[in-house]
Amino acid sequence: MKRGIFILLILSIILTGCWNRRELNELAITLALGIDKSEDEYLISAQVVVPGEVSLTGGKVGSPVTLVQARGGTVYEAIRKMTKSSPRKIYPGHLRMLVLGESVAEEGIGDPLDLISRDWEFRSDFYVVVAKEDTAEHILNIQTPLENIPANKMFNTLKVSEENWSATSGVTIDELIVDLRSEGKEAVLTGILATGKQEGGSSKQSLETILSNINIQYDDLAVFKDDKLVGWLTENESRAYNGIINEVKSTVAAISCPNEGKANIEVLDFKSKLKGNVKNGNPEVDINVKIVGNIGAIECPIDISKPESIEALEKIYEKEVEETINNSITSVQEKYEADIFGFGDAIYRSNPKEWESLKNQWNQHFTELPVTIKVDVKLRKTGTVNNSITEPRKE
Amino acid sequence: MLPNVKINSYQFLVLVILFTIGTSILIVPSALASDSKQDAWIAAIFGTGIGLLIVWFFTKISLFFPNLTFVQMNETLFGKWLGKSFSFLFVCMTLLYTAILLYNSGTFLTTHQMSNTPIAATNILMAGILVMGVRLGLETIARSAEIFIGVFFLLFIILVIFIVPQIQFENLQPVWEVNIKSLARSSLLLIVVSSVNAVSLLMIFPAFINKPKSAQKYFLIGNLIAGIVIIIITLLCILVLGADLTARQMFPSYGLAKKINIGNYINRVEALMGTLWIISLYFKMVLYFYASVYGLAQIFNLRDYRALTYPLGMIVVILSLIVYPNVVDQQKFETTIGLYFSLTIGFLLPLLMVIVYAIRKKQLKKVTKAS
Repeated sequence: MKRGIFILLILSIILTGCWNRRELNELAITLALGIDKSEDEYLISAQVVVPGEVSLTGGKVGSPVTLVQARGGTVYEAIRKMTKSSPRKIYPGHLRMLVLGESVAEEGIGDPLDLISRDWEFRSDFYVVVAKEDTAEHILNIQTPLENIPANKMFNTLKVSEENWSATSGVTIDELIVDLRSEGKEAVLTGILATGKQEGGSSKQSLETILSNINIQYDDLAVFKDDKLVGWLTENESRAYNGIINEVKSTVAAISCPNEGKANIEVLDFKSKLKGNVKNGNPEVDINVKIVGNIGAIECPIDISKPESIEALEKIYEKEVEETINNSITSVQEKYEADIFGFGDAIYRSNPKEWESLKNQWNQHFTELPVTIKVDVKLRKTGTVNNSITEPRKE
Repeated sequence: MLPNVKINSYQFLVLVILFTIGTSILIVPSALASDSKQDAWIAAIFGTGIGLLIVWFFTKISLFFPNLTFVQMNETLFGKWLGKSFSFLFVCMTLLYTAILLYNSGTFLTTHQMSNTPIAATNILMAGILVMGVRLGLETIARSAEIFIGVFFLLFIILVIFIVPQIQFENLQPVWEVNIKSLARSSLLLIVVSSVNAVSLLMIFPAFINKPKSAQKYFLIGNLIAGIVIIIITLLCILVLGADLTARQMFPSYGLAKKINIGNYINRVEALMGTLWIISLYFKMVLYFYASVYGLAQIFNLRDYRALTYPLGMIVVILSLIVYPNVVDQQKFETTIGLYFSLTIGFLLPLLMVIVYAIRKKQLKKVTKAS
């Protein structure tokens, strides 16, 4: 018994804590990482939280984040080199955003991303975006209103806008890697850009006016072919893309009324099904869209107390969705020849045998792929009122 | 003679479940997915089915002599020298696998959780409780297994429930794309890791079970339950991560736990889920180690097997550090040499035993009656 207690005491001395502990005040908690490439060197920018400035008591004089930068031949090298200018080691376990500069995106993102999928400290739940016509460094150098920490603002903005507007797409790192590796789907990332005056974004003064001088906002989707950026979708195409891959949660759509003016549909439920098929060796794809929505706003003379007008609006919306999707597919087929919609995957799922022979020239097949679209819209409610304010009163 | 302990059938069931899940839960989904892609779960079902047949075969053989361990059986069947050399090979295998599992637990801990801790430190600590467990004896191991199986299934159910919202059924399609050849190849690994290696359990079954006849049923049920756990984990890996990511990850089920995110509130629980693998890994390890220590003691007719725990424990630690030069080599070994080694001891040797038994049946009956 005595011996047991003795051993226990000895062990408690040896086994306290961890082998190499890293206390919170030794870590540079990185919330956003930017990758740029210039002259064969990577420039890595890490947006690191300044703990004193985000604490509830005290602080609030300087910037809540700081940017640590380093150059290196590889991403890993550059991240380690950051210790040359940062007193703390970069800790990416809480990373929210990975911003890729346009230059990197154009040259290929496969190589720089390898470290991020291999290293154990990185998790898999952060978003990846592309700086549109900009460098990642510049994007990470901007102060933001509402959210103290720019990386959090970027993360939350993307999340909220993906859920409520549906022209952006929050792609996490594993989803991106799956797309990059897949033979039947090309990758897509959301673009991010700086708006407003281009100077002075890094200082806190830019937040002292109500309308901040400079802000960061999301833009449309970037199309990748293999791992290289080949172009940008328009807003309508971005929304159609999200519709096709069934990523729309809620959105608002403006449609034209039967006679003149506009009406808005609030989409509550958007479901699309992609079905591949091979007929006589020729691949084809069916898209089946089911939308449930409410009438959001009426800005035209239409009597929506009549069932026929609801039906008419449903018909119009069906037609417009079909057109948007159709136009977007045609434009992607013609402009980029990159199967971002995952039609190849759909055919692989339905006809794995035929896919074997199709996959080698898939880009060629994709450009000529016939797509059938079927849209079904159900409008349920009209909001808190029935007819529009401008609708003449019934006698 | 060596101390005579008995465990009951339920305790044996628990040990079989933990032994069979063992390492499979960590590494099998990845191995299955790299060959069978999205049909990995079919391979898992297939493997579990064949595995059950193998276990049934084991129970039949071991009940030839309900009071003897595998090592003693070898000696009775093949005679002193040949039997002892077969047993020695068997002990080499279990000892090697103890070291390999120790390596696995060390790699798992140092890859994902404590990347800068030297692997020797984690392995020495783990080997410490390994030696402790075996010194305390089979009864203690079985009783602690009874407690930990509750923790294990609680965590497992939590993992399954929490990951369900992330399921994407498209990841399963197209079903049945796999051809028979790659299906067989990938399920072979599962069969070997979870069922053929269960030959080590013949050191416990039936000699140390109080009711060997009913325990025979529990051996099969335990293997089946563990098989279902593995099928579920494989299915979830495919459904959530997709075939490609599952195959690419070193420990896909850990990647699965990383994915848990319930309303931005319950997330980052993978370290907790790591407990799951450590529990199953430990019990598999301790049973291998018990088989090697006890087997060696019986080969040399030692009075107390405990004398061997420290030296063998040290050998295991050192072996675990040098067994593989690197992780890639480990994967190579597991899918080639390891398979053949296991199949030799766990399949060919028992087959030989059946043949010899059939030939010497009458003669052996006299011997056992005389003794």
